[in-house]
Amino acid sequence: MSLTAAVPTARPASLIDPKSLMSIRNLELRARVVVEGFWSGIHRSPHHGFSVEFSEYRQYAPGDDPRYLDWRVFARSDRYFIKRFEDETNLRCHLLVDCSRSMTFGSLSYTKADYAATLAATLAQFLYLQGDAVGLLTFDERLRDFLPARHRTGQLRSLMLALEKPAAGSSTDVVGALRRATETIRKRGLIVLVSDFLAALGEVQKHLISLSACGHDLILFQVLDPAEATFNFPHSAMFEDAETGRTFFINPGSARTEYLRRLESHCGQLRSLCQHLGMAYSRMSTDRPLELALFDFLRGRMQLRHRVRRVVQHSSRSQL
Amino acid sequence: MSFLAPFFLLAAVAIGAPVVFHLIRRSTKERRVFSSLMFLLPSSPRLSRRSRLEHLLLLLLRCAAIVLLAMGFARPFLKGALPELSKAGAAKRVLVLIDTSASMRRKGLWEMARGRAEDLAREASPVDQLALYTFDRDFKRLVTFEQWGATPPGDRLGLVRSILANTQPGWASTHLDTALIQAAELLGETDKGTTVGLKQVVVITDLQEGSQTRALQGHEWPKDVQVLTDRVLAASPNNAGIQLVAEARDADYLSDSVVRVRVTNAAGSQREQFQAGWSGADGAFIGKPIEVYVPAGQNRVTSIPAPAGSTPADRIILRGDDEPFDNTVYVLPPQKRQTTILYVGNDSATDTRQPLFFLQQAFQPTRGQTIQVTAEPTSRPLTGATIGAAGLVVVTDLLEGGNAAALRGAVFQGKTLLFAPASAAAFTALGRILGLDGLNAEERRLDGYALLGEVDFRHPLFAPFADARFSDFTKIHFWRYRRLEARALAGAEVLARFDTGDPAILQVVLGKGRIIILTAGWNPADGQLALSSKFVPLLYSLLDLGGTSAPPPRQYFVGDTVKLANPGASETVSSPTVVSPDGKQVRLRAGETNFSQTSMPGIYSISSSVSPSHFAVNLEPAESRTASLPSDELDRLGVPAPLAVSVASTPADRAVRLQSADLEARQKLWRWFILAALGVLGLETWLAGRTARHSTVREEVAA
Repeated sequence: MSLTAAVPTARPASLIDPKSLMSIRNLELRARVVVEGFWSGIHRSPHHGFSVEFSEYRQYAPGDDPRYLDWRVFARSDRYFIKRFEDETNLRCHLLVDCSRSMTFGSLSYTKADYAATLAATLAQFLYLQGDAVGLLTFDERLRDFLPARHRTGQLRSLMLALEKPAAGSSTDVVGALRRATETIRKRGLIVLVSDFLAALGEVQKHLISLSACGHDLILFQVLDPAEATFNFPHSAMFEDAETGRTFFINPGSARTEYLRRLESHCGQLRSLCQHLGMAYSRMSTDRPLELALFDFLRGRMQLRHRVRRVVQHSSRSQL
Repeated sequence: MSFLAPFFLLAAVAIGAPVVFHLIRRSTKERRVFSSLMFLLPSSPRLSRRSRLEHLLLLLLRCAAIVLLAMGFARPFLKGALPELSKAGAAKRVLVLIDTSASMRRKGLWEMARGRAEDLAREASPVDQLALYTFDRDFKRLVTFEQWGATPPGDRLGLVRSILANTQPGWASTHLDTALIQAAELLGETDKGTTVGLKQVVVITDLQEGSQTRALQGHEWPKDVQVLTDRVLAASPNNAGIQLVAEARDADYLSDSVVRVRVTNAAGSQREQFQAGWSGADGAFIGKPIEVYVPAGQNRVTSIPAPAGSTPADRIILRGDDEPFDNTVYVLPPQKRQTTILYVGNDSATDTRQPLFFLQQAFQPTRGQTIQVTAEPTSRPLTGATIGAAGLVVVTDLLEGGNAAALRGAVFQGKTLLFAPASAAAFTALGRILGLDGLNAEERRLDGYALLGEVDFRHPLFAPFADARFSDFTKIHFWRYRRLEARALAGAEVLARFDTGDPAILQVVLGKGRIIILTAGWNPADGQLALSSKFVPLLYSLLDLGGTSAPPPRQYFVGDTVKLANPGASETVSSPTVVSPDGKQVRLRAGETNFSQTSMPGIYSISSSVSPSHFAVNLEPAESRTASLPSDELDRLGVPAPLAVSVASTPADRAVRLQSADLEARQKLWRWFILAALGVLGLETWLAGRTARHSTVREEVAA
């Protein structure tokens, strides 16, 4: 089933507050609430039949299936034409979710890890409902769980259980996770990477290119807490790095400007990297409704192919 | 301003603590875990001079609270009023109480107490009035206010010294409560018509734990009388005592071959191992002593076997203790008493229908007493010796010969006679005893039965039945009795009546004795009295009326009054003589039965013509509890005790301290200091809260 026709033009009238959503303890239920709300939004779209897309006409040749003859064209032109559609393929999607210690930070009533797990669960539920194969790869400083992409009974349940495991690692190794994904995921498909990307981007870039070269479509969700994005702490305090354990005395008033500058620079690098590699990038604040993440996912998915083409053409021109 | 307890001012040194706390910079304690510090640079903390004090007003308030508290505890007073008290001319009236209880016999205590009393006499100004009393169980006068006033000021010290030189501590227990109450009453009495500046009772005592203070609890202490306790302390806290364990009245120690004693060891004592055993007059152990281990502040009860052989042993002694005053307990075996009841009647002792049979069954021998019923026929002449030896005479039949006259004479002398006639005709005998001719009674047989309808429980005969549990006589039925008009007997008192209204039991007093008349006997033909549970107690009540029922106790404490046995009608010797342990002989006056001069422990002998006997007097057990009472015990009991005088101080110092204590107790400035400290603390709390709120707001604004 193709996703490209599923882009809704109108967003749901009311979005679910993430705080209320996170108060639901069951992860599967949280995902279902988001997806069901999203379905209603999709069905208000004028584009019905998102899985069948007209492609071209071809003259009938003996042996073609007569069911696809276009009888209207035959009535007008007295010629047999076969109506061709885009081929239906099952999407294979792998969700790469960061479970490192930095994801345990949260200034709201829930952490980034909770939000990321819900986001991944929502995507998995959405894809599973469409009949696509969904897989999962969770990581911190090492690979934790790997579920190959499948569409079968119990897959969603196993995926939810893996996502519900608490974060136990200390540091983040996005590079290792991408390398492992490159080695493991052989068939072309979609890879959704959910992380805070609070790590150096040099090695990340190399492995992202590798994945892209393997024919995978990549969508990156950078999950950040509002406090990380604004750094609006009222008092001076001893700040401790969740991953390394380093402790600094920080006066937020004086450190905020430099912090925000560095953060924006980091995020800008990541965004430009994604644009350069033809990947979709979305920055998700944990106070942002999850339905918006789904919209971003679908929009990114729809435009992904064209971008890749542009990037490929651009690359080939530059090589010439 | 002066202070009564200036060492408390040392607590003011604690103001250093808030100063130090104010100098310490408050470093941030808040820790915040953040996802990553990769975009952060460490900030440099705010620096300020470490020597700079912050929140000066708060610091001052905190220091002031500490200083005020320290001053309050140091018990301040204004000394300016001191000279006014002693030099204004208002006479001070002081009653000095010196403890002469047995515990003051400990080493050095009496000399110390005497010295204190002499110091007080020396320090008294000429206008002051002073009296000297001693107390233990009794309150004794040594020097009265009148004597003091009548003696020239220069001779007063000599008077006190000479009297104290002849005074020694006794053996009695410490009745501090009665002594204080009597002293307060004395001070109140002597107040009339004179102007007195201050009334004081100065108690020179060891204030031991065994002092009796119970009576002070309900006593309203006069507000204008102060009590100063001048405590004398023994050089050593060691003291152990031995006491006889109280047994049942008829317990026979020697027949059980053991005597149980309690060994007590004072709290704080350093000795724990003692020896106890029998001893004679020479103070040496007879036989092998028993080892007793008693930790300090505890007591142990141990059994001492009776001494073997014929060596005379009348005391148990304790060895291993520093203070010997309470280490001897005198023990006498209880004396078994033989009592005879003379039955005058013609009954057979084996006839179950006759009164004699039931009388013999009623008196069974006990451990302390054997009662023998001697039956004499009415025809046999009764001798004076036979009647005199009987504790109770029972007559049931007509008397022949001169028996009636002999019995009349015995009753006049004090004998108790029970007249329970078997028939109406026997009342003639009663008439002869009472000297009434023609005393007749009418035999009355009832169709049903009669009950005792009216009983005088106030009479000693029925007093044991006065309790509601025992006062039910309705189960005793009578089928027959003799109807006797009480009016026929001059001075007869009806003790019980039948429900028919006729007298059932009467009493006639004749001379020193009395006759109890039963109009119905206890034989089954008359009624159910002999078969009821009331019969035996009633007979013992009759014996009690004659003063012969139970043997007197033989163990007493020092100061107890000993009731000597009634010499009885046949006593020909005028009065007995009591010989105390120190050999002093006290002859009692004629008819006197109480001996109260038990002033020392030991074996006392009573010499009389009938039966020489002994009794033992021991020390009160409370005297062995020599640990000190808490210093605030008197205050707790409502006695205003300003301050105990220190032991190790010179007389001059002590005088100043006494006056200071008076002033401090009167001014009570410490209350104001504590109140001020509380006020300052309240202000500090408010200010600190306000400052904290403002600093929080400032930080938020800065953020």
